[in-house]
Amino acid sequence: MLFNEIYSSYFNVVAEILARACSGELKQSDIGNIVSKKAFGESILNIPASLKNGEWLLLKDDMTTPIKSVPTMPLTLLEKQWLKALEQDPRIRLFPPSFEGLEDVEPLYRREWIEYFDRYSDGDDFEDENYIENFRLILKALREYRRITVDFNGRHGLRQRKDCIPYKLEYSSKDDKFRLIAISGDKRGKGYYTLNLSRIKTVRVLGHYPVEQYRQPEPESAAITVELTDERNCLERFMMNFSHLEKQAQKLDDLHYRITLKYDKDDETEILIRILSFGPIVKVTEPDYFISLIRQRLEKQEKLN
Amino acid sequence: MAYSELIKSFEKIREYVSQFYVFGFKSRSEYTSKSARSYDNERRRIESWLGDYMQFRHEKGAKNSFLALDTRSVSHNPLYNAFKAKSFTDNDINLHFYIFDILAEGCEKSFRQILDCISEDYFAVFDADGEADESTVRKKLREYEKLGLIKSRKQGRELLYSRCDDIADLDSWQYAAAFYSEEDALGAVGSFLLDKFDSPPDYFSFKHHYILHALESEILEQLFEAMREQKSAELTIYIPRSDNIRIHNLLPLKIYCSTQSGRRYLLGYHYRLRRMTFFRLDNIKKVKLLKKDDNYEKHFENAEKYKRNLWGVASTSARGTDHIEMTVYVADGEEYIIRRLDREKRYGRVDALDSHHFRFVADVYDATEMLPWIRTFTGRIEKLECSNKAVTETFFGDFDDMLAMYGGDGNAV
Repeated sequence: MLFNEIYSSYFNVVAEILARACSGELKQSDIGNIVSKKAFGESILNIPASLKNGEWLLLKDDMTTPIKSVPTMPLTLLEKQWLKALEQDPRIRLFPPSFEGLEDVEPLYRREWIEYFDRYSDGDDFEDENYIENFRLILKALREYRRITVDFNGRHGLRQRKDCIPYKLEYSSKDDKFRLIAISGDKRGKGYYTLNLSRIKTVRVLGHYPVEQYRQPEPESAAITVELTDERNCLERFMMNFSHLEKQAQKLDDLHYRITLKYDKDDETEILIRILSFGPIVKVTEPDYFISLIRQRLEKQEKLN
Repeated sequence: MAYSELIKSFEKIREYVSQFYVFGFKSRSEYTSKSARSYDNERRRIESWLGDYMQFRHEKGAKNSFLALDTRSVSHNPLYNAFKAKSFTDNDINLHFYIFDILAEGCEKSFRQILDCISEDYFAVFDADGEADESTVRKKLREYEKLGLIKSRKQGRELLYSRCDDIADLDSWQYAAAFYSEEDALGAVGSFLLDKFDSPPDYFSFKHHYILHALESEILEQLFEAMREQKSAELTIYIPRSDNIRIHNLLPLKIYCSTQSGRRYLLGYHYRLRRMTFFRLDNIKKVKLLKKDDNYEKHFENAEKYKRNLWGVASTSARGTDHIEMTVYVADGEEYIIRRLDREKRYGRVDALDSHHFRFVADVYDATEMLPWIRTFTGRIEKLECSNKAVTETFFGDFDDMLAMYGGDGNAV
């Protein structure tokens, strides 16, 4: 059962408090610190009080506990079944975890029960040995705060080499691809770049970099405002479709809505064609240059009709 | 009842999180189906769990709460917090820590021994009156056995309890759990696993990431159970258009996930309609498992065959399939359009007519479903033909409307 208190933030936080109490190191101030760091906004009003006022018989006034061993909980059957189900996923080899102890566990589901029906078909080859090796090297560099050198095929097929600091491995479920987001040393450009992992030929892990000197990349963002008419369930479709973006919505009247979407400037073409896919029930009202992009497509189409 | 940030059932909060996250334009007074106090409590809870992402806007004298978040910027889905806010009793938390302490380091104890330990080693320390309640402890042990946390074996007339074995190397799962907790269909479980690590890795980010799927986790867990046991299920379905609830009995067979629209669907064999039927997961309110269906394998095979002409999830056409052909013009230097056609075509095929003209051909159950995709090629479509005339009429009609909309009449929406 997934919705169960054993997975709750409260149980995890109390386990951590008791672990410290077990080792005789718990101070009153630690409780507040642990709760603030690991629980919810208002948990600070509940957890310390419940431990103190005798509702939970786990911690004594002198910050000791009758619990003798550091609290641990074995994995639940659900957790084991979930891990076991991942054995069938081709991407699992990128990591690769140990399945020891899961031999007799029935997977939570079978891979063939799930259809990603609109996923693009040119996703990465997750079973390619070179790809796996590159992925693992980048992950190692991320873990150890190291620079890397990557050799890759550029857009026009030319081999290129870059020194960089890996920032994230970004996965898109729609594209079924991983991309490396890396911070470049070049101060003139936007400071970071994105590289499809499948285009990387080799990765070499270099030395450590001073973490404090590098700020996380901030993509250049842009925004569009649209007005939509809630016909054919359009509002719900539109809001779900773009739910992964930061947005603000405003109801104009019972049928009309104004929505502002923020997106990464690099994704402009994608946003443009997604807006086109909604047809006339969505109208871009700002900015003008985005409206011009739509007009250009419409005019091109008019000539072809 | 006094307010608590914890919740007993997930159903109520599911709707509020969805409204705040997906829509975010409603004011307090617009949540008409619930009382004002209920709204205040739910909003306060969500703020407590997801405070960093909660924003407010004052509009026409009313305060609108909404969740503002670009999912690309987070490595861990914050909505999983809702699953970590289950309420519990004092006994639940006390017994949880007592039982695992008593059974620590491979200890095996009988029920009576566990009961005595609770009274003597824990209750007595706090001068708590009386002994541990037998039926409460028995119930908790039974529950933990069902969850796979402890196991029992019979010795004579007694049951001996011990902890279940852990997997050999949980640490080796850190990175996989960080990735799959976001990417897997039931990633909430991975999020629970990540809580076991001091600082979960944040090396991954996710584009086109629909975090709202988290809210369907409980429903999906039950559907997987039905599928594992090849059982039929009674589904309580919410119908948004009529704001109604309907009950449907079907055999759950597959989960269809859209990576582009944010929706997920259950495909199952509908007993009354005698055909394959889709239901959106976010419209399924309850799942009740019924009996095993001996024809499961046959239905599953049919579901596999069924997908051959399925563009999305619509199969309302009783007349068979629609034949559709779209010819796209590709200018010099626009080879990426050919690649787009190829990777996005799903079940159709692409024929090169000459170096600048490419024809996409497909037979699908319901070609009207393809209209949004076809529109993404606006500016390049030389020819569009479909055996279902409604498709071409809608496409060209909508196109004319768009031309008018962006052409001159600035007030048209």
